[in-house]
Amino acid sequence: MKTTRRNLMIGGASVAAAAALPVAQRAAAQDATTITWWHISTNAIDQALFQQLADDYVADHPNVTIEITVLENEAFKQRLTTAMQSGDPPDIFQSWGGGVLYEYASAGLVKDITADLQTDGWGDSFVQAGLGLYGRDGAYFGVPWRLAVVAFWYNKALFAQAGIEAPPATWEEFLTTVSTLKDAGITPISVGEGDRWPGHFFWVYLATRTGGEDAFMNAYARNGSFADESFVEAGRLLQELVALEPFQDGFLGASYPDAATVMGNGQAAMELMGPWAPGVYADNAENGVGLGDDLGNFLFPSLEGGAGDPTDILGGADGFAIGANASPEAIDFVRFLTSAENQSFLAGEGIAILPTVTAAEDAITDPIAKELAELARTANYLQLYYDQFLPPAVGQTVNDAVQGIFAGTLSPEEVAQQIEDVAAQELAG
Amino acid sequence: MSLAGLIARYVVLIVMAVIILVPIAVAAISGFKTTGQVRANPFSLPRSPIWTNYTDVLRSDSFWRQAGNSLSIMLVTTLLVLALASSAAFVFSRFRFSGRNLLFTYYMLGLLCPITIAILPVYLVIRELGLVNTMWGVILPQVAFQLPVSVLILRNFFMAIPQELEDASYVDGGTPFQFFWRILLPLVRPGLAAVAVLTMVVSWNSFFLPLVTLNSERLWTLPLGVMQFSGQYSTDWARVLAFATLAMTPAVIFYLFAERQIIEGLTAGSIKG
Amino acid sequence: MMQSRASAMEISAAPPNRMRRQFNTGRMLTVAAFLLPSIALYSLLVFYPLFRAAYYGMFDWNGLGPLTDNVGIDNFRNVLSDGLFRKALRHNVTILLLSLLIQLPLAIVLAILASGNIRGRAFFRTVFFLPYVLSEVVTAVIWSFLLQPNSGINDVLERVIPGFKAVPWLGDPDIVLYVVFVVITWRFIGFHIVLYLAGLQGIPAELTDAAKLDGASPLRVVFDVVLPLLGPTIRISVFLSVIGSLQFFDLIWVMTQGGPVNATETMATYMYKYSFQRFEIGYGAAVSLVIFGICFGFALLYQRFVLSRDYDNALA
Repeated sequence: MKTTRRNLMIGGASVAAAAALPVAQRAAAQDATTITWWHISTNAIDQALFQQLADDYVADHPNVTIEITVLENEAFKQRLTTAMQSGDPPDIFQSWGGGVLYEYASAGLVKDITADLQTDGWGDSFVQAGLGLYGRDGAYFGVPWRLAVVAFWYNKALFAQAGIEAPPATWEEFLTTVSTLKDAGITPISVGEGDRWPGHFFWVYLATRTGGEDAFMNAYARNGSFADESFVEAGRLLQELVALEPFQDGFLGASYPDAATVMGNGQAAMELMGPWAPGVYADNAENGVGLGDDLGNFLFPSLEGGAGDPTDILGGADGFAIGANASPEAIDFVRFLTSAENQSFLAGEGIAILPTVTAAEDAITDPIAKELAELARTANYLQLYYDQFLPPAVGQTVNDAVQGIFAGTLSPEEVAQQIEDVAAQELAG
Repeated sequence: MSLAGLIARYVVLIVMAVIILVPIAVAAISGFKTTGQVRANPFSLPRSPIWTNYTDVLRSDSFWRQAGNSLSIMLVTTLLVLALASSAAFVFSRFRFSGRNLLFTYYMLGLLCPITIAILPVYLVIRELGLVNTMWGVILPQVAFQLPVSVLILRNFFMAIPQELEDASYVDGGTPFQFFWRILLPLVRPGLAAVAVLTMVVSWNSFFLPLVTLNSERLWTLPLGVMQFSGQYSTDWARVLAFATLAMTPAVIFYLFAERQIIEGLTAGSIKG
Repeated sequence: MMQSRASAMEISAAPPNRMRRQFNTGRMLTVAAFLLPSIALYSLLVFYPLFRAAYYGMFDWNGLGPLTDNVGIDNFRNVLSDGLFRKALRHNVTILLLSLLIQLPLAIVLAILASGNIRGRAFFRTVFFLPYVLSEVVTAVIWSFLLQPNSGINDVLERVIPGFKAVPWLGDPDIVLYVVFVVITWRFIGFHIVLYLAGLQGIPAELTDAAKLDGASPLRVVFDVVLPLLGPTIRISVFLSVIGSLQFFDLIWVMTQGGPVNATETMATYMYKYSFQRFEIGYGAAVSLVIFGICFGFALLYQRFVLSRDYDNALA
C-alpha cells in the first residue's frame, strides 16, 4: 500500500480480452440494459449530484436505465453481504478495495476490468496508490472515486475557549490537550463506537505509529504477528487515552451519525475521521451547516520512539467495484463517473473532496481539502483501514476487539492475541 | 371489594397503560415536531404541528412501494396458509389411515423450530432453489413455518363439526371435496379468521427473513424500510419517528378492528375452550 | 410465532371416534391430494434445511465457492467451546430468568387486577396487548429514541430528579442487557397477560366466592384458589417465554446489534454475525444446529416432565 507511484501491472494475457471488448460493446449498445448502482452517499446534496450524473449519462445513452439504491453505510455493508451470498451482486457498488473485495474476487462475484483500464488510458488517469487498492496480482475489480485521509477534525472555538493555542503535534501533547479540554468542561472527543469502525481508526493509527509499515506488512505476510509488541503497545496507548474518559456520554452505544451530530452541534472538540466529515456535520447539525469556519484539521499526533514515520497516514479510497454480471455499459458508466471532467465536478461540489483522478486535483477549492490532498501526496506510507484491507473475518475481529479497549473489558494483550488468532487462520492459506 | 382496594387496582392498571401508551404516543407526536424540538422536549406537545415529516414520507415512492410489497407478501402468504392448512387439517380431522398420528406428530415438530433459529439453513435452501431476492423466497418459508400452528387450530375447529353433517353429505352423493368446500369451510369461519389474522400479523411484522432474502430495494417490505430509513436519517428523529409511526399505523388499525380474532388466533391452542 | 409452541401441548392423541368409513383407493387418493402439497412444502422448507445445515456445518466454507474443506465435527466443537457463544447463551439465559422472575409474575398480577367485573376491562386488555402487534423493528426504533444518552427518558429524569446525571442506557455494557429486557417486557407482557386473562376466565366464580365467604383475605384467595387453578396456563406461559428467550433477534439487532462489546449478544445475533458479516457460513450452519438442539432439548424435557401432567401429548 505504498503511495509510491506504481504503474499498472499489465499482463499480456489481458490483451486478447481488450481486443474482444469493443465488439461486445457495439453489440450491446443497441439493447436496452439496466444498471444497478448501490452507493452510500445518503446526504441529500450528494444523492442529488449522483442522480444528476446518472441522468446525464442516460441522456446520452437512451438504451441504459440506471437504478440507484442509496444505503446508509452500516445498512449497505449488511445488504451487500447478503447480496453477495446470493450470488447476485449489484452492477456497481461502493467498495473500499482490499481484502474484502479480494474475497469477492476469488469467488468470482466481481468483474475483472483490467482490460478496460488499459483502454484509452483510463487506468493511468488515476492516482495510482488509490487504484492499487482495487487490484491484486495485476487484476483489477474496481476503481477509486474519492481518496480518504483520516485525520483529527477539531472545533477551533472550543480549543480557544479552553485556552489551547495550537493543535497537538505529539501524542504527549495530545493527551495534555484532552485533559485541558476536559478541565474546561468540554467533551474532548466524539466517537461513534457503537459502529466500531470509528474506534478502530485510533488503534490502527497508533499501531502505524508504533510499528510502522514493517510491523503491519510482516504480520500480514505472516513473517510477524499481530500479537507483536508494537500492536500491544498501540493498545496500551489507546488505553491511556480511554483512561482520561475523553468521549461523549454513551459513546459505546453511539452510531457514527450520533457522534457526528455531537461534533456538528459543537458539543465535542475533536473527531478522528475521514475527509467526508464536514459534509456529515452539516447534514446532522441542528443549524444545518455544521461548524463552518470553526472547523480545523490536524494530522494524527506523532509518537516519540515509534517505528512509524510521523507522516504515515491512515486512509484509503472509496471506490466503485463492478459486479460479475455487469454489462459493458456499467463499466462505461463508471468510466464516465471517474472522467477528469466529472471528478473535477465532484471535487468542486465537495463530494469527492479528494479526487482520485490526477487531472482533477486542481479542482479542489476548499483549503482544508487542499491540505489533506497535500498530506496524501507527501505521505511516506498509506495504511489502509484494517477492517477493509484484511479479510472480513479478521477485519471484524479487529473492530470487535478494539471496542473492548474502549469499554475497558479487554487488555491490550488480549486484543492483539484475539486478532492474531483469527489472522493465523485466515491469512495462512 | 373495599374502595381503597379498588382505587389501588385502578392506579396500577392505569400506570401500566400509561407506560404502554406513552412511547407509541411520543413516536406519533414527534412526527409533528422539528428534530430540534424533539431533542429538547421529547415529551411535550408541538406548539404548532409541522406536517412535512409525515407528508414527505407519504409523498415518497419508497414508502408506498414497501407498503405494497408488505401487503402483497402478506396476502399471498395468508391465502396459501389457509388453503394448505385447511386441507391438511381436513385430512387429520376426518380421515383415519395408518401412519396418520405419525404424520401429525411430524407436523407438530415444526412448532418447536421457530424460523429465527432456522434462518440460515432456510436461507441456504432458498438459495439452492434460486428464490433469493424474490417475493417467493419470503412467502414460501413463511407459509411453511406457519403451517403447523394453523393446522393445529383448524383441526380443532374441524373436529367440533358433528359427524352427522358429513354422513348426510355423503348420503347425498357428495364427494369429500364437496363436503370440505361447501359444508366444512363455511362452518369454521371463525377458525379461518383466527388463522388468517394470525398469519397476517406474523407476515406484516416479519423482519429476519426479508432481511436475508430481499436484496433489491424494489422488493423491500416495511420493516426493512423502517430500518433503512432510520439508518439513513439516523439522528433526524422527527423524520424517523414519523416513518415508524406510518409503518405501524396499518397494524394498529387492523388490530383495533380485529382484536378478537387476533387474540383468539394467538392464544388458540394455548388455552382450552 | 410464540403462540405456536403452546398449541403443541394440547394436541389430543385420541381423535374422536368418527372415522368409520372403510378405507379404499379413492379415499387414499383424496388423502394424498389434500395432504401432499402442504407436507411437501413443510418438509422442503422446515425439515430439509436442518439436514442441509448438518452437512454444510461440516465444512470450513465462506458460502461463496464450492465446498472443499471438510473439517468434520470441528465447527460444532468450536461453537460449544467458543467463549463468545457461551456468553451469548448466558445472555439468552439471563433474559429467560428475568422473564420468569419478573415479567411473568407481573403479567399474572396485572391479569388478576384487570379481570373480573371491573370497568374498563376490555380497554386495558386492548392497551396491554397493543405492543405485541407492532413489529419488533418499529418497537426498537421508538425505544432507541427514548433511550438516547442526551434526550428521551434522560431528559425527563433530569427535569424531575435534581442532580440526575444522564445514563447512557444503550451505551453502558453493564446495564444494557437489563435495559433491553425492559423493552422486551414492554413488547411481550401483553401476550402473557392475555393468556392469563383467558385462563382466569376458566376459573368458576363460585370457587373464589366460596373462599371469600369463608373469610379468606383477597391475597389468600389468590394464593390458595386462583394460582393453583391457573397452573396449566402458567406452565404454558413459562414454556413460551423460554423458547422465545432463546431466539431473540429482531429487537436486539435493531437496537444494539449485540453490542456494545457483545453485552447484548444473543445466540441468534452471534449466528448472524458469523454467517453474514464474517462469511463463515459453514460455522454459522453449525451454530444454527446447536441453537436448535438447545431449544429442542429443552422443549422435549419440559414436555416430558412439566407439561405431561396437563395434557395428552402427541409429542411425548
